[in-house]
Amino acid sequence: MNSQAHPSAMKKIFSGIEGFDDITCGGLPLGRTTLLMGGAGSGKTVLSLQILVSAAENHGTRGIFVAFEENARRIAANGKIFGWDIPSLEKEQLYFVDACVRSDVVRSGTFDLTGLLMALEAKARQMGAKVIVFDAIDVLLSLLDDPAAECRELYRLNEWLTLHQFTGILTTKVEDGQPAISARYGFMPFMADCAVLLNQRIADRVASRTMRVLKYRGSPHVLNEVPFVIGPQGIEVGSSNGVHPEPQPFNEKISTGVERLDAMLNGGIYRGTNALITGSSGGGKSSLAAAFIAAACQRDERALFISFDENSRDIVRDVAMLNIDLAPYLDSGLLRMESVRTESASSEDHFMRIKSMINEQHPRCVVIDPLSALARVGGALAARAVAERLIYLCRNKGITVLFTSLLEGSDPHLETTTLHVSTISDSWIQISYALLDGERNRAVSIIKSRGSKHSNQMRELIFSETGITLADPYTAGGEVLMGTLRQEKETAATLEKAGAL
Amino acid sequence: MTEARHTTDHPNGAYIFKLYIAGGAPNSVRAFANLYAICRKHFPDSHRIEVIDIMKEPIRALEETVLATPTVIKLFPLPEIRIIGDLSEENAVLGALGLPQKEKT
Repeated sequence: MNSQAHPSAMKKIFSGIEGFDDITCGGLPLGRTTLLMGGAGSGKTVLSLQILVSAAENHGTRGIFVAFEENARRIAANGKIFGWDIPSLEKEQLYFVDACVRSDVVRSGTFDLTGLLMALEAKARQMGAKVIVFDAIDVLLSLLDDPAAECRELYRLNEWLTLHQFTGILTTKVEDGQPAISARYGFMPFMADCAVLLNQRIADRVASRTMRVLKYRGSPHVLNEVPFVIGPQGIEVGSSNGVHPEPQPFNEKISTGVERLDAMLNGGIYRGTNALITGSSGGGKSSLAAAFIAAACQRDERALFISFDENSRDIVRDVAMLNIDLAPYLDSGLLRMESVRTESASSEDHFMRIKSMINEQHPRCVVIDPLSALARVGGALAARAVAERLIYLCRNKGITVLFTSLLEGSDPHLETTTLHVSTISDSWIQISYALLDGERNRAVSIIKSRGSKHSNQMRELIFSETGITLADPYTAGGEVLMGTLRQEKETAATLEKAGAL
Repeated sequence: MTEARHTTDHPNGAYIFKLYIAGGAPNSVRAFANLYAICRKHFPDSHRIEVIDIMKEPIRALEETVLATPTVIKLFPLPEIRIIGDLSEENAVLGALGLPQKEKT
């Protein structure tokens, strides 16, 4: 995203965090004060450090990090976890001030921050620093032990930052729960030009993080709460606002791995789009997905198969019975199969893992089986946002992706998916059970196929040792015949034909 | 920290203080006056006060992690003690130095 996208006069400093720059419409206000608020462990320190490191690494902007709560050396060392080379940045671009408030300090009478600000001013001038982080400013203020003095010193700090045109980032703890901002520091957001609230919530015993821009003086910003994770490269914000260039559509159609299904889809599914396979448990969704991935590997395309809660080796064994042999592709590395435990993480964490798998494997075709597993923990709403972002991620990379999703409920005609992803999927193939004359047969139908003609027939899906295929449609009296009825009818027809000859 | 004044860590047994001030700020001026008065009264012949003006030596304050002004550091006798503020609450200072506190009136 470039600055032209936002015709705001305000100059900004990129955070270097894609989603964060999206929700703030270009980053933090240059030469102004930004407040990052959140509970313990909500990611305030990491976010402020990441912005500082990114400014130094990508734009040569120098900065000072003042640590009031944690040991500055430890904070700098933590940066190594995220792959930030802080020791080499410390030579010129970054300076850490260990301002841990010592527990044995004695207070007697009034004091203020004048000395600290004088010292920082001199240091900033000496090294040419433009960004200053005050991490855990609340710890410093609590030392004053007087609300009026806390307010006064905070304003002193803000005035000092403004006077010297430093870009200030203050982080402060706020109480968990509502109201989000404690009365004590309630005035803080009014003082700052930009205020961001970080949250950590537990839903279904799984933690998820969100952030929200509370205010941004003189600039548009995203009002919604957006999810974020602290991943191996630091903070990643999942912005749903991103205006990304639409990728060039492909005109090529690729096979689903089942010849007759391709025919129903008028040649397969478009490359770079996504297809959804829905069905009830045991319907054969995973097998169809395996057929799709095998077809990709046969075309010599790299592929990724992510299954939730099912061992990849079991899948390989099971589909081998259907004449789908994935083993050689796994051995050659053309195919990567990953089995993920649903309960292990929030949907947001799953997204980040899938994203990094995609970045490592560079697949052209991806299967996620089942996508509905995402909704099992952390709530359907978050899972839906993640599903959408997965779809956009793949679309932007030109990856053809096939999702499976469990259809819940006893009514097979109630065509709803748990995540409501059917609305954003390009193709939708449904496997249902047709109950007729005491038989349960698998039937496949195509509910939609964007930009392409498709068959509206319901066809019997046949799994056998020779592979997956669809039976010829057999209708009698306006009904599709399946299973034994179809076989009888077929035999009868053949006999009739023979008799006629 | 109470028995520290009997230490022989320092050859002269003198009390050595560092006082960090921010130029001529009123609380800095008060801190110096208060510290000087306490020293005169309790250690008339054995004290030394080094005044560091952060305005003149700013980087030194960062290196010694002096956050607030005024700040007093008692270097000797050990242990080192930090007191922040203008030292107007005399009993807090006396307590920190292990001296008998004044009766409240």
